[in-house]
Amino acid sequence: MTENKKKILEMLADKKISIDDAYRLLSVIDTEGGGQESIPKVEPGTKTRPKYLRVSIAPDPERENTENVDRVNVRVPMSLIRAGIKLTALIPPEALDKVNGALKEKGINFDVRSVKSEDIEELIEALGELEVDVISGRGEKVKVYVE
Amino acid sequence: MNRPPLLMRVKIKNERNDFGLWLPLFLLIPLALVVLIILSPLILISLLVLWPFGWGRLVVLAPWAAIVSFCAMRGLKVDVHNPRESVYISVV
Repeated sequence: MTENKKKILEMLADKKISIDDAYRLLSVIDTEGGGQESIPKVEPGTKTRPKYLRVSIAPDPERENTENVDRVNVRVPMSLIRAGIKLTALIPPEALDKVNGALKEKGINFDVRSVKSEDIEELIEALGELEVDVISGRGEKVKVYVE
Repeated sequence: MNRPPLLMRVKIKNERNDFGLWLPLFLLIPLALVVLIILSPLILISLLVLWPFGWGRLVVLAPWAAIVSFCAMRGLKVDVHNPRESVYISVV
């Protein structure tokens, strides 16, 4: 078992990532033959504060010049994500009840009022260790990571 | 709270247009303050009207949330391009 696989299983055991995320990351490692390059090595005990969420979509190099395909590079500051999540505090209680009701209708038994700012911070901190690397059937490389 | 962004770079290139803009966001801050002062009586009235319905908090916090979100935009970068057109937005 490689270091990266162990790290993913540890993150899953610590409930830092979901089962789906773990499965996706393990699949990426398997397709890349070990994935030593896909996840940067993190020294134990050191935590880097994530600054930006990066989303990049790179088209297949063979198709890039022949077809009208988009290359996307987006950098979103984590502070903007934090501010966006904190905007939920502005939602009046009546509206929150409606949101809870709508979620329940969809089979999601979750109370949005139970989300606290500490939980959001923890979630954003945990994002720092996540990297998603997907190659689509059309050869597009989609990367979502935090730096 | 972060420092507010100073400039926004917008660059759009397609078959019809090809232009780049440097938008001085720092000029928006005094302008927003003036607008806030002008609208303050209206905000106060809406606060008094909406408070019994539980929406008063929204009126108080919304301008603050807008300022925080604006300041948090510093560092945002969107770059989408293909051989025919490109859009580039950067907040610095």
